[in-house]
Amino acid sequence: MLWLALYFPDLPLQLFTRGRPEEWPLAVSHRYQGREVIARCNRMAATCGVHPGLPLQAALALSGDLKIRARDRRAEKQLLQELAQWAYQFSPQISFEPSLLLLEIGASLKLFGGRQALLQKVQDDLPGLGLCSQWASAPTPMAAALLARTRPGGHVPREQLLAALAEVPVRRLTRDSQLRGLISDIGLQDIGECLRLPRPELSRRAGPVLGLLFDRLLGEAPDPREVWQPPEHFQQYLELPAEISEHAALVFPARRLVTALCGFLRGHGMAAQRLQWCLLHREQAPTCFDQGLVTPSRDASHILEMFRERIERVPLPAATLGLRLRVDDAQAFEEASASLLEDAGVVQDHHLLERLRNRLGDQQVQGLCLAPDYRPERAWCFCTPGASGEGVDGRAQQPPWLLSEPRPLRVVRQSPEYDGPLQVRSLPQRVESGWWDGCDIARDYFVALSRAGERLWVFRERRSGRWFLHGLFS
Amino acid sequence: MAREAFEKLIHKGLVWRGRGVAQEAHRVEPSGWRALDECMGGGWPRAALVELLSPGHQGLPLLLPLLARLSEQPRWLVWVAPPHLPFAPGLSASGIDLQKILLIRKVGQEQRLWAAEQALRSASCGALLLWPGRLQTAQVRRLQLAAEQGDCLGILFRSVREAALSSPAALRMKVSPSPLGLDVAVLKRRAGWAGQNCSVRLP
Repeated sequence: MLWLALYFPDLPLQLFTRGRPEEWPLAVSHRYQGREVIARCNRMAATCGVHPGLPLQAALALSGDLKIRARDRRAEKQLLQELAQWAYQFSPQISFEPSLLLLEIGASLKLFGGRQALLQKVQDDLPGLGLCSQWASAPTPMAAALLARTRPGGHVPREQLLAALAEVPVRRLTRDSQLRGLISDIGLQDIGECLRLPRPELSRRAGPVLGLLFDRLLGEAPDPREVWQPPEHFQQYLELPAEISEHAALVFPARRLVTALCGFLRGHGMAAQRLQWCLLHREQAPTCFDQGLVTPSRDASHILEMFRERIERVPLPAATLGLRLRVDDAQAFEEASASLLEDAGVVQDHHLLERLRNRLGDQQVQGLCLAPDYRPERAWCFCTPGASGEGVDGRAQQPPWLLSEPRPLRVVRQSPEYDGPLQVRSLPQRVESGWWDGCDIARDYFVALSRAGERLWVFRERRSGRWFLHGLFS
Repeated sequence: MAREAFEKLIHKGLVWRGRGVAQEAHRVEPSGWRALDECMGGGWPRAALVELLSPGHQGLPLLLPLLARLSEQPRWLVWVAPPHLPFAPGLSASGIDLQKILLIRKVGQEQRLWAAEQALRSASCGALLLWPGRLQTAQVRRLQLAAEQGDCLGILFRSVREAALSSPAALRMKVSPSPLGLDVAVLKRRAGWAGQNCSVRLP
């Protein structure tokens, strides 16, 4: 067993700030021993002299424009759950402590190519979530958690566990105030000191609980933890610390959600093709829109880039207070495999198509395909780019350009004119079709040359004898 | 000091350097028309911008053999704002694989240029055909750089009225219809002389 502890020391504060890059003096307050005191504050507040433990009134006196948010433990728990969704990509066994995630990574090492590689991946991905973090890994969950809080940034193998923990204060072992009181009454300072005492004597003085804690800490007693069960669908909400009214500024908070989503998808071996975004406003219905991807993806930077294009086309009726991201139809992820023979049939890289569609809309970005019909108007259709259709064979010369509507030509002395008389250059190609669907046509198509030298595709309607221009060769 | 200023100019791409050009001259794509190849010094330049200036968007037939060959690669052929409907049976008969065609229909001038730049830059696009409307030199330069970056041939269909404007495109040709087919006159050619004329016979 190898446990990785991720501790988020500023979680109570960053819960409120991770949606916006700007900084202003901000502190989170909670009730402590009957008084409202500062729990956490950001750097700007700290430069004014605000620090954790300071009574609220004193903090407000120090800094006039200090913003105070009441500590929201429920939201903190919720955020920790969301972090677990992200962390599920690294380990299937996750449990919680306040502001801390515990991952059993022993079973994942092989998959990620060793402890170093896994830790590197964790650290590469963490900044995207917008939280400060410190980590430690150790063979027992308790040791890992304790080290992440007190001596972060390293891996401690079993044989060095004693030495690493020796100077950690004993009271950090428990949150039980009675036990804490007892420890300080005995005059015990750090863990090393305690472990040097004879165990029976210690148990007699401090009761069996302290002994059990030490055993768990060192892996001599089992330390069962409740294992977190991931939800089936991804849905997260991010509240913004201040309203956002420009499109571009929404990319920053979106990044938090997309990073979390991609972690979730990796954990489940899935990829998303349709992201459902909702922007919440103060007194108006939320703005909801879908972000579609051409191929299912779980690449955060790609999804975010597409979001950047997409969001610009979304009309915002009011300033945004929060973002919600939902993915209902995640699908199994298929790793793109490099084929041995390059497949020339379809374009593999869909990024361009995605970007164009995102910005211009699906209607404006089309492919072309053949349709099985002899009538020129119906012999082709717009389709999704990359799709193909079957046409009909055996045609005479056809132009590369078609006019959207046949243009009537003037007829002078029974020959058609277009900037002067036309010179017909080919034998007629007769198209007579469509009596069954109401678009019956009977036409003779010719290639004709105008006086200016343009090659035109013209036809004569056999029933009326009228001439039309329908296509261009040059 | 002078060197610094000079390097700044090179960086901005304002200095023409002979050495690089000689190598580039070999990077051409045969057009499929013999007379045209001779005129252009071997074929269409690769990873560059070509301007076809004509009275009414003529010149597509010159490109059809090239497009047919490029469509064998797994890259898009992007058409931005064509003036008429590209006729699928006609294109298919010229040997173009329609699956590679990516059509951007009626969009505003700004969007056209944006889309064209994205396509040129993306490296997943073999050729870009753009009917841009009026263009400024700076915009053409931007597209030219994007074409180089994405290794894509960009074709601009411009009005013959804009022939007198300066342009950083690698090749500029005037195209006009004639009874035999299309008459082509080279107005500018990178790494070569302008002034060639030829006539391409269309069937």
